[in-house]
Amino acid sequence: MNAQTGAAARELSYAEAIREAMDIALATDERVVLMGEDIGVYGGAFQVTGNLVEKYGTDRVIDTPISELGGAGVAVGAAMTGLRPIFEFQFSDFATLAMEQIVNQAAKVRYMLGGAVSVPVVMRFPAGSGTGAAAQHSQSLEAWFGHVPGLKVVQPATPEDAKGLLLAALDDPDPVMIFEHKILYKMKGMVPEGHYTTPIGKAAVRREGTDLTIVSTSIMMHKALDAAQTLAEEGIDPEVIDLRTVRPMDRDTVLASVRKTGRLICVYEGVKTLGIGAEVSAMVAESDAFDFLDAPIIRLGGAESPIPYNPELEKAVVPQVPDILEAARSLAKGMI
Amino acid sequence: MPTEVIMPKVDMDMASGKITTWHVGEGEAVEKGDPLFDIETDKAAMEVESPGSGILHHRAAEGRDIPIGMPVAWLYDKGESVSTPPESGAHPEDPARTDAIPEPVAGDVFLHKDEPPVAPGADDKVRATPRARRLARDHGIALGDMTGSGPRGRIQAANVEAFADGRAPLGEPSVAAAPASFHPQAGDLKVSRRGSGSGVPAVLIHGFASDSHSWAAFEPHLGNRPLIRIDLPGHGKSPRRAPASFTALASELRQAFDQLGLERAHLLGHSLGGALALAIADTRPRKIASLTLLSPAGLGPEINGEAIAGICRANRAESLGPWLKRLVGDPDLITDRYIRTAMKGRADPDLRAAQTAMSDVLFPDGTQAFDLTPALGRLAMPSRIIWGKSDTIIPWRHALRAKGQTALHLYQGLGHTPQFEAPEELGKLIGDSL
Repeated sequence: MNAQTGAAARELSYAEAIREAMDIALATDERVVLMGEDIGVYGGAFQVTGNLVEKYGTDRVIDTPISELGGAGVAVGAAMTGLRPIFEFQFSDFATLAMEQIVNQAAKVRYMLGGAVSVPVVMRFPAGSGTGAAAQHSQSLEAWFGHVPGLKVVQPATPEDAKGLLLAALDDPDPVMIFEHKILYKMKGMVPEGHYTTPIGKAAVRREGTDLTIVSTSIMMHKALDAAQTLAEEGIDPEVIDLRTVRPMDRDTVLASVRKTGRLICVYEGVKTLGIGAEVSAMVAESDAFDFLDAPIIRLGGAESPIPYNPELEKAVVPQVPDILEAARSLAKGMI
Repeated sequence: MPTEVIMPKVDMDMASGKITTWHVGEGEAVEKGDPLFDIETDKAAMEVESPGSGILHHRAAEGRDIPIGMPVAWLYDKGESVSTPPESGAHPEDPARTDAIPEPVAGDVFLHKDEPPVAPGADDKVRATPRARRLARDHGIALGDMTGSGPRGRIQAANVEAFADGRAPLGEPSVAAAPASFHPQAGDLKVSRRGSGSGVPAVLIHGFASDSHSWAAFEPHLGNRPLIRIDLPGHGKSPRRAPASFTALASELRQAFDQLGLERAHLLGHSLGGALALAIADTRPRKIASLTLLSPAGLGPEINGEAIAGICRANRAESLGPWLKRLVGDPDLITDRYIRTAMKGRADPDLRAAQTAMSDVLFPDGTQAFDLTPALGRLAMPSRIIWGKSDTIIPWRHALRAKGQTALHLYQGLGHTPQFEAPEELGKLIGDSL
C-alpha cells in the first residue's frame, strides 16, 4: 500500500514506472502526447516508451525527425497551444542542440507575454555515466537547466518518484525537465498503482541520522545509502537526503538536517565546479544553519574531465561509495 | 586604549570578591607585577598584582562585592587622556548591596560609556566552528578559555559542550586562579604567596608533574597563616630545566627555602615534594615548625613508572585523562574540565620535555632512585605522614618505614592526592595543629 494514496504497490523497474506514468497520462488526458526520436515502433533509445505506440497510435506517440532543435520546438509550440507534450531526448547530452527552444523559448514565454501563455511541456533526459557511452553520451547537465529561471528541474532516484514526478510535471503549468539516470532504468522498486504525484520542490529524507548530512541526487542517493550502511556499522550515523528537485531546491529539508547534524556532504554526479553542491553549500552558508556547522562542508562531484570511455576511468571521474565513505569518516572523526 | 583590571577568580567556587585595600591610589603610577589590591573571598584573602604598567584610574570602591571578570579599575598610558570618568556614585556606603552578588549592570562597575565592558573581538583569532561559536554565545562562554580538539586546535561544538558541562566547581584545578603576588623570589624558582594571616607561614612543595595549583583545594583548610608555594624546576611557572640528580634538585629547593628568609615555617610536601620537604627538614631542622608529608616519595623503590611516563608523554586531554584518573581513589573526581585545565597547564612542550628528562633522572626504569628513609629516622620536629590506601602511584606501605615520632594517618579510599581528594578531612586533621 502507498502511504499517501492508499493504493496497492508492486515492484516495477524505474523504466516501467515511467512508462506507466505516461500510460496513465495518455489514457486520462487527451491533451497528452509523446514526442521524440525513435520512441514509436522502436520503443525509445532505452525502451522506456516501449509499446505505447501500439496502444495509443502514431498521433499520440510521435516519432520526430533527427533534429532535437526541431522536435523540441514542436513540443514547446504544442504546449503553448493547448497540448501536454512529453518530449524525450535520446541522451541528455543532445539537449545542447535544443537549448534555444528550452532556455530562450520555453523558460521565457510566460514571462515575456505577461502571463498570457504558459508552456506546460515536460522533457525527459536520459542522463549520467556508467554505460560506457563516453564523453558525448554520459553527461549530467542538470545544473545547466537549474540555472534558468522559468524551468523546473527534477532528478527522480527511485521508480516510485520517477512515476510520481512525471505525473506531477504534467500537472505543472510550466516547463519541467526530468533527468532520468540511465543506470537506474533497470532498478526495481515498489511503485503504487494508479495516479499519484510526487511533489516537485520537495526533498526526501531516505535515512535519518544524527552525525552528518549527505545531500545526494539521483543515483548518488543509492551510493550514499550504501555508504551509510557501512558507516552505521562503524558507529557513524549519517542522514541521507534525496534532493529529488534541483530547481526549486528544498531549502527547508536541507537546512533542518544540517541544523541537526552540523556536518554536510553533498554528492552529485555532475561536474563539481559550479554545480549542485555549490548551490547547496551556499544555501547553508547564507542561512542560519551556518551557525550549526561544526566542520567544513564537503562536495563530492564529477571530475574536471569529459567522461572517459575506459570503464575504469569512467568510474574514477564520478563519486563512488568509497569516496563517500572516506569523506564521511573524515568529517565524523573531526579530521577536517 | 586603557587596559582593564578585572576581579580575578582566585578560588574554585568564587563568584565575587571584595576589595579590602587598594595599594595604589587613584591617578598613581603602577608597574606590572606590583601589588595592586587585596581581595577577600569567602575562603581567603590575598594580594593581587597589577596586570600591567600605567596610571590607575576609576578604581572600584573598597568593601564592595564585585563579580569575577568585571573591571575594577583601568590602567592608562602616561599622557593618555582619561575620558568619561565613571560614576563611582554611592556604592561604597550602600550596605544593601554588600551581601548580595550584584548583577553586572552597566555603570555599576565602572564601564566606560564609549567602550564595551569586554574587549571586542577577543575571540576573533580563535579557531572555532560556527556551531562552537553559537554554543559559546548561548552559554556565555569565552572561546579563549577553551582548548580545541579539531584540526589545528579548532574548537568544536563538543569542546564547548564539555566545557559548559564541566563548569561545576568540584575538583577544578583552576589555571585561571592565578596565584596572587609574588613577594619573595627564591633563586629563579617561582614562589607564590597567598593569605596574610598572623600564624607561622606554611611552605608548600608540590609533586612531580604537578604545580602550585594542586594545593588550591587544600589551602583554605590550612588556617590563618601566610601560605608560600614553590614551583619545582620544570614545573608551573619555574624555569624549564631538569636538575641532574635528586641531590641537585634538593639543593635547589633548599636554596629557595633559605631565600624566603623565614624564621620558622611549617613544611608540607606532596609526593616528590614530600621527599624534598623531608630533605629540607633534615638540613634545616631548627627552622621547621612541623613537617607534613603527603604520599611522599623517597621511602622505597617502587613507583608507578607507567603513570609517570603516561603523564609526561600526554600532549592532549584524551591521553592525559586516564592517567590523572589513576592518581585518585575515586576517578569521578577527575572531570573533563579538570583534565582540560590540567592539559592547558601542561601545554608548553618545554615543560613536558623538562619533566620527561627529570623523570629519567629521578625515576629511572620506574624506580625511585633516591632514598630518604634515614632522614625520616632523624626528624626531631613534629612530623606526620598522610597516605591514601588506594594510592596506585606509590605504595602506601612505604609509610611503614617511618621510625621514631612520625605520626601516620592512612585514609581508606583515597588515592595519591589526599589533599585534593579530601581537603576538608585533611584540614580537620592538621589545619589547627600546624
